[in-house]
Amino acid sequence: MKKIIIILLSLFLLMSFAFSANAKSLKFAFMPGIADPFYFTMEKGAKAKAKELGVQLIVGEFPKAWGPEYQVPILKALVARGDIDLLFTAPTSTEALIPVLKEIHDSGIPVITVDTYIGDGDYSKPSKYSFPLSYIGTDNFLGGQTVAGALAIMLKGKGKVFLENTNPDTSSVINREKGFRAGLKIFPDMELVGVEYCLDVQETAAAQVSAALQKHPDLAAVFGVNVFSAQGAYQAVARSGLQGAVKIATWDATQTLIQALKKGEVDLILAQMPAEMGALCVEWGVKYLKEGAKIPRKVIPGFFIFTKDNVNDPEAQQYIYK
Amino acid sequence: MNAPDPSISLNLNPSRQSKVFGFVGRNWALLFLLFMMIIFSFLGKNFFGLKNFTIIVLGVTSLLLLASGETFVIISGGIDLSIGFIMGFVCVSSAIIMRDLHAAGYSQTVSIMAGSFIGLLLGLIPGLINGVLIAKLRVPPFIATLGMWGIANGLAWRLCEGFPIAFLPPRVRELGMAYIAYFSTKKGFSLFQKPVLTERSDILSLVKIIPLPVLLITIILLIFAFILSRTKFGQHTYSIGGSVDASIRAGINVPMHLIKVYVISSFFASCAGVLLVFKLDMGVHTQYTSSYELFAIAAVVIGGASLMGGQGSILGTVIGVLLIGTLNNGLMMMGLPIFYRYIAVGCILIIAVLIDQFFPELVHRE
Repeated sequence: MKKIIIILLSLFLLMSFAFSANAKSLKFAFMPGIADPFYFTMEKGAKAKAKELGVQLIVGEFPKAWGPEYQVPILKALVARGDIDLLFTAPTSTEALIPVLKEIHDSGIPVITVDTYIGDGDYSKPSKYSFPLSYIGTDNFLGGQTVAGALAIMLKGKGKVFLENTNPDTSSVINREKGFRAGLKIFPDMELVGVEYCLDVQETAAAQVSAALQKHPDLAAVFGVNVFSAQGAYQAVARSGLQGAVKIATWDATQTLIQALKKGEVDLILAQMPAEMGALCVEWGVKYLKEGAKIPRKVIPGFFIFTKDNVNDPEAQQYIYK
Repeated sequence: MNAPDPSISLNLNPSRQSKVFGFVGRNWALLFLLFMMIIFSFLGKNFFGLKNFTIIVLGVTSLLLLASGETFVIISGGIDLSIGFIMGFVCVSSAIIMRDLHAAGYSQTVSIMAGSFIGLLLGLIPGLINGVLIAKLRVPPFIATLGMWGIANGLAWRLCEGFPIAFLPPRVRELGMAYIAYFSTKKGFSLFQKPVLTERSDILSLVKIIPLPVLLITIILLIFAFILSRTKFGQHTYSIGGSVDASIRAGINVPMHLIKVYVISSFFASCAGVLLVFKLDMGVHTQYTSSYELFAIAAVVIGGASLMGGQGSILGTVIGVLLIGTLNNGLMMMGLPIFYRYIAVGCILIIAVLIDQFFPELVHRE
């Protein structure tokens, strides 16, 4: 009896080996930055591409808040399973994630950073953080420029604009500001009359934009760099009775903001392409592992600009974060 | 700084001189506020006027309520750090109730009333817990309310996942944006009914008199200012802040009273939360970076309260809040970047405490 059991067990063992060797499909891991529609959309894009290319995709638990203290434990548990061929992740700190990702890289798992990066994001020069295969994500500076250009077209190249930013110590929104300033320089009749930081507090954003409107009654547009600053800007504009007359541009095509666009509360939304980013990670990962292709150290998917004219178009729907 | 003020001792008519100093010392915040308004009127474009004063007051509505609640706590000798996040928790909760009831087909009035009322009730719970922890279980107020700070924040986060709660009944915005009266050169005077204007110059010249939320806050503040200054409850609050032992000997039920004080503080925070829904047409959680509780404490102290307890008033707190709001608005109008505004508010706070420390004989009667 014992013998039979042992034989059966070893047979099973053999079979499972043979099976796994046979269907040796690639196993990618995705570690998102935070539980929000942006990363949910990224996950969807990555999953669709993984299915298409026959890659098994394992997604780490979505952290409830932003920061290495939330992300790192989940990330460590994710790679601890030991059978992963490639990791793509949105590091929640440019510094704190360097040693963590380096360790994963050194254990033989190639790493791609998506949406956010480590160090200064330039992996083309040798440095202590240049080990990731690639950074796939948005160029905030370019996005800021794009918003400036799109606003200029909307305003026919002329008018006073105000920038409602969030945190003066966060690289992504500061790069949006820098890009926005650079983009406005191209239009000699567009003037940036002020910049404020609301620290993501919507009530503060409303107070600041109210004061800006009071100071510049001829203000033509406000660029709110995220949902809190844009909604605060809208509250201020609506209170002054100037909705429609003062244009509001913002960033990220969340459901809330798309609804606001449809109601005429905001006029322009720059959408990043999270689904595209996720798909690109899977696609380049497969090319790298199967064909030995050389991945560009930086891959930047484009943007999509929503206005009330195209928000209902069928082909635009894919860019809404869901 | 123990030497008596020479200006008083050398004067032939000391009572008159000290009266003037006393007046300046007691009302320095109000005088400074007026002084700032004069300076900003000259330096800042479009600063002086009803429109901008309305903007200033609207900008600090939350802080007005939070700081008034904090006044009760500070007078009683405690501190409440949880108010900012209780506000966020209530704001998110009542917005969710309004949104879901409205989506389920209930009328706007029912959804809004239910959301506001349940929000207000929910907001009393943290205050009750704070009070019991502090008064009955002897947890220091700083720690008890710091714990509640985290709990309220966590709950709000859990409920909204970090995103604004939108899609509320349309009436929410109408109420939040309403004014008591309007005056336009074209359409004349109207009560509650906003005239329809199309020209930008007409819209900009429309005179809007007292926002509805400000009227509501004024009523709440008047009631509680009365309670604090004219009732036995108010007297007991001062007395507990002055000396707990003496209050016990005088027969005051100190634990029960303290519980009520923390519930009042929490009630103000939930009023602020419900009001914020109307103001923003959304439910938002309180961001870590907002530091509402610290600004509220700052306003109370600028308004003449002592962190040792026993001193302070609602009127003083209102002046403190307006001082912070005016400083922010005025410096913004002058085009001063945000970083300097933080420094300015910091300096004013320290000056307030210094005046209190070095000239107590001027600031406080007796």
